[in-house]
Amino acid sequence: MLTDTERQAATEFVYREARLADEARYAEWHALWTDDAVYWVPATTDPGADPEKHLSHIYDNRARLDTRIKLLQTGHRYSQEPASAMRRVISNVEIEQAEDGELVVSANFVLAELSVQAKHEMHWWVGRTTHRLRRVNGVLKMRHKKVVLVNAAEPLPNLTFLI
Amino acid sequence: MSIAVPVIDYKALVQDDRIHVSLYTDPRIFADEMDRIFTRGWVFVGHASEIPRSGDYVTRELGTQPVIMVRGKDGGVSVLVNRCMHRGTMLCTAGRGATRTFACPYHGWTYDLDGTLLGVPYPGGYAEFDKSAHGLRHAARVASYRGFVFASFSPTGPSLAEHLGRATKLIDRSCDLSPEGEIELSAGWVKHRCAANWKALPENDSDGYHLGFVHLSLFKTVPQSQYQRVVGEEKAIKAVVRDWGNGHLEIDWSPGYQRPFEWFGNASGPAVERFVAALERRDGPEVARRRIMEGPAHALIFPNLFLGETNIAIVQPTGVEECVHWHTPMFWKGVPEFNSRLLRMSEAGMGPASFLMPEDLTVAARNQAGLHAATVEWLELARGFNREVEDAEGRIVSHVTDETINRALWKHYRTVMAVA
Repeated sequence: MLTDTERQAATEFVYREARLADEARYAEWHALWTDDAVYWVPATTDPGADPEKHLSHIYDNRARLDTRIKLLQTGHRYSQEPASAMRRVISNVEIEQAEDGELVVSANFVLAELSVQAKHEMHWWVGRTTHRLRRVNGVLKMRHKKVVLVNAAEPLPNLTFLI
Repeated sequence: MSIAVPVIDYKALVQDDRIHVSLYTDPRIFADEMDRIFTRGWVFVGHASEIPRSGDYVTRELGTQPVIMVRGKDGGVSVLVNRCMHRGTMLCTAGRGATRTFACPYHGWTYDLDGTLLGVPYPGGYAEFDKSAHGLRHAARVASYRGFVFASFSPTGPSLAEHLGRATKLIDRSCDLSPEGEIELSAGWVKHRCAANWKALPENDSDGYHLGFVHLSLFKTVPQSQYQRVVGEEKAIKAVVRDWGNGHLEIDWSPGYQRPFEWFGNASGPAVERFVAALERRDGPEVARRRIMEGPAHALIFPNLFLGETNIAIVQPTGVEECVHWHTPMFWKGVPEFNSRLLRMSEAGMGPASFLMPEDLTVAARNQAGLHAATVEWLELARGFNREVEDAEGRIVSHVTDETINRALWKHYRTVMAVA
């Protein structure tokens, strides 16, 4: 049975994760992950998408995720240099506990990104995230994050910020 | 009364050592390109493996013209204009599907898989109606090479074989890595928006000069990438650019490779050993060794097909200052155990969230923005004149950082565009 305390901790985690991503706080965001991290942004909205058969926008294991963060930290990742100004709003949060004890947090988001690397343009990103959270040494961490964009299969501009 | 339309002088705009800014910004030039290059010329549409069964189709745009590539009842491939002949309604709006007929949602006109008009509801409204004169418009010529389907809306002109010329060897180089000699595009496409004229993509795909600068973040993060040997001391770089003629261009990294599979993340293990054994059985040890050293081609097939090493990419113009880059991993038939690695390589290299292309497209967008500086009219294109050479087969070859193949692209462009 999911306690109110756990429910609140999971919700706060997702809010905090969003704020760190919005503010391009790469090291702090990176520290939220477990060692067996999976960060997945499918290139389709099809719920049957299989990352071993279908191309994704992002399908990072821990090593690939580490590289993604290091690239951003070089100061030469020109698609995020300077970093986009961003704010996202999270809503429609639903929380369940999986059989393995992980907290599964599903939520909708709307993200406004001001892309400033070439033209100054506002990009809108909308979708649903699913986080799987688990406690490591008492601290809540992110083991799996899936982001299904409503326009996942359409032509997208650069997506090199933290979605 | 007739209106005099000024004719654009492409020979003046495309010079041997410089090109005019209007080629990236003038909507009249874009319109000419859509006609002369993307309608009348040979254009890559898709791969036969995308539509394996009768009735399977994918939708594409050739230039800005929507088309359907469909496998017919006889197994042949047609390229139909995705527009009802009655009132212009688009027939298919999904990226792919399978069907027995194409039915228009507006007034119910139906077409066969080859575009033949089958039915018109309430035929009493016409005194005489010749259905055979109202079939879907289709590409006058459709031809393929190793499953790569190309179309031209011109009934005359060079054949596909003439257009590709010797560049078929580039396609061979990629396909022959499959133990069965066939590639398969089944992973789906990722589409990446670019705020630049479409020609920025083939130009950048053929530019070996930018790597150490645009992709500095990668070299700082992953020093052992397959591109490590094309940065650093100029004279130590062995990779070359090669002009295959007709606007087909290659960057050949392989002279710099020192070990097999550098292009494949230095893959090793039992699956790789089985793969090498299969190539050796088919080709003999010497040719197999060459294939695993060289890897697949990095080449542009004019105007819109990019053989991006382990990826296939399509350049899609959408407007004079915007385009879309499509890509999908190239799966090799006979080694499905490589697919997972090929997917992950694809995600690392190409697409909006990858480690390479976002930097390319950011710089392309900055180029496009810079070209609005109206007081500067020309772009430089002279690098490498001093050292390019003709090889034994008559191809111009030069140092990978030279603009030799960018010039070759523009030279072919000028030839095609100057034919009014």
